[in-house]
Amino acid sequence: MTPIVTLDGVSRRYGDKLALTDISMTVEEGTIHCLLGPNGAGKTTMLRVMAGLVGPSEGSLSVLGGDPFQHAIRSRIGWVPSDDRSFYMRVSGRENLLFFARLYGRGKRESTRLVDSLLEEVGLTDDAYKPVRGYSHGMTKRLAVARGLLGESPLLLVDEATHDLDIEGSRTIRALFRDLAERGSTIVWSTQRLEELPGLVDTVTVLDRGAVRFDGSLDDLVASVDRPVYRVAVRHEEGAADSAEFAAAALGESASVVGGEGHVLSIRLAATSELGAALRKLMDAGFEVLTCHEESGAIERAVEMRLGS
Amino acid sequence: MTTTASHIDRVFAFVRRDFKINWSYRAAFFGDILSLITQVVMFYFIGLMVDPNVIPEYGGRTTSYIAFAAIGIALGGFLQLGLGRVSSAIRQEQLMGTLEPLFMTPTSLGVLQVGLAFYDVIYVPIRTAVFLGAVALFLDLEFALSGALPTLVVILFFMPFVWGLGTLASAGIMTFKRGGAAMGLVVLALNVTSGAYFPLDLFPSWVTTIAQANPIAVAYQASRETLLGGAGWEAVTPHIPFMALSAVATLLAGSVAVRLALKREHRRGTLGAY
Repeated sequence: MTPIVTLDGVSRRYGDKLALTDISMTVEEGTIHCLLGPNGAGKTTMLRVMAGLVGPSEGSLSVLGGDPFQHAIRSRIGWVPSDDRSFYMRVSGRENLLFFARLYGRGKRESTRLVDSLLEEVGLTDDAYKPVRGYSHGMTKRLAVARGLLGESPLLLVDEATHDLDIEGSRTIRALFRDLAERGSTIVWSTQRLEELPGLVDTVTVLDRGAVRFDGSLDDLVASVDRPVYRVAVRHEEGAADSAEFAAAALGESASVVGGEGHVLSIRLAATSELGAALRKLMDAGFEVLTCHEESGAIERAVEMRLGS
Repeated sequence: MTTTASHIDRVFAFVRRDFKINWSYRAAFFGDILSLITQVVMFYFIGLMVDPNVIPEYGGRTTSYIAFAAIGIALGGFLQLGLGRVSSAIRQEQLMGTLEPLFMTPTSLGVLQVGLAFYDVIYVPIRTAVFLGAVALFLDLEFALSGALPTLVVILFFMPFVWGLGTLASAGIMTFKRGGAAMGLVVLALNVTSGAYFPLDLFPSWVTTIAQANPIAVAYQASRETLLGGAGWEAVTPHIPFMALSAVATLLAGSVAVRLALKREHRRGTLGAY
C-alpha cells in the first residue's frame, strides 16, 4: 500500500506548551485512519499539521508526496474543520458551497450540479436556501462535510464530523466517508465517539496529551485488552451474607470476581471461559441471575487501558 | 478553462459573494450613501468659510474649496480601498473563521488578495462617479470632461502603488491581528499630508517637500490640474515613470511581506487566530 501521510518525529510547540510530542505514524492510501483521544489530546493540532495550516516545530512530514505547506499540495486536501464558525453566516448554505466550488475551479454549471448533489448527500436539500446563521450545529457540521468534498480530494482530513449529529445523521455521514474510502480516498478521521469506529475505521492512533499511546489496526487495539468484565446482578436462595465471596467460590477458575456492591458483582472471565458457562456455575451454586451486561465495550476498555484511566 | 479564465472566475466568485453579503446588510449599504451626502454637506459649509484666495488656481481658473475637496474625497475613496480593503478583508475572514477554509482551496495568494477586494474595486469607482456627478449637479461645479481620461490614467498608476501599501498593511494585520485603528490613522495622515482636503501651501514647508516625493500627493495634484484646470496629458505624463516605479516598489515589498507573514503564522500556527 502507498503511504499518503507520513509523520516522522513531529512535535508542535505553542509557547512553552507541547501540543504534539515526537509523533511518528503513517496513513495508507484508501484507508480510514482514526485519531482517537480525549479533549486536548492533540487531534485537531495533528490534523492542522497534516493540512499544512500549522508547521511542525520539530520533525518532518510528507502528505500526498510533498510538504503540505506548499500550495500545490495543500489545495489537494479536503478539510472538514470542527469549528462551526467557518461559513458566511448571512448567506445560504447553498450559496456558501457555490462560492467554495468556484474557488475549487469548477465552472458555474458543474458547481451547481455538484453542490446540489452534495447537499442531498448530507441531507441539507430542504435547508439549502436558508442563511447559515439559522442552521443548528449539526446542520453546519453537515455543510462543512459537503464543503470538504467539493474538491474531490484524494485525502480528507475530518475533525469531529459527527460530533453534533443525531444518530441518523451520524450514520449517513459515516456511510458517506466509508463509501469514499472504498472508492480510493484516504481519510483521517478525528473523533471521541468510540461507538462509531467498528465498521468505519481501518487503523487507529490513540493520542493522549500530545503523545501516541497506540498506533495500529482497530483489531490489534481490541485484541490488546484484557478479557471483558461483566456486571451481574444476583440473588441467592438462602440470602448469602457475602455474595462476592460465595460467588468467587462458585466460579472457581472460570472467572474472578473483581468487584461488586451488595448483590451486583463484577466478574472477569478467564481466558478460556465463556460467559454462559460461568453463569451456569453461579446458578448451580444457588444464585438466581437477574441481569447481566458488559461493563464497557472492548474498544472503550482498550482506549482506557492506553490512556491509563 | 485556461488558468487566466480560472483566476478571473474565482475573482468573480468573490464579487458575487460580497454582493450577497452586502445586500444582506441593506442598512449599512444605504448608510454609506448617507455618509457620502454628509461629507458633501460638511465640505460645502467649510467651503463657505474658506477664503477662495488660499485655494490654488488650476489652468488659470479660480477654484472653489468644495471643488478642491471633492477631488480629494473622490481619490480618497480609492486610497482607502487600496490601503485598507485587503487588510480589513483578511481580518474579517479571520474573525469569521473562513480564512483557513479559503487557504485550503486551490486559489493562489494573489487571486485571494484581489478577490477579497474586487467587489470594492467595482463599487468604489461607481460610488466616486455618482459622488462627483451629484456634486457637479447640486453644487453647480464644472469639471473638465477632457480631463477624465488623463485622470483615469493617473488612477491606474496610483492604485497599484496604494495596493502595494495595502498589501504591506495586510501582512501587518496577519501578524498583529489588530490594526483597524492604526490603519484609519495612516489613511487620514496620508490623505491630509497629500493635500486631499487642504492645499499643501498651508502646511509647514517640510510637508510640502515630502509631498513632492509622495505619489499620492502627485496623483491629487495631477487630477486637479486635469479635472479642474482642464489640462491634458501634459499634466500627467511627466509623473507616470515615478508613479510606476513607486507602484512596483510597494507591490514587491507587499508581496514579500505577505509571504513572510504567512510563513510566520504557519510556524506559529496562528493563521486563523484572532
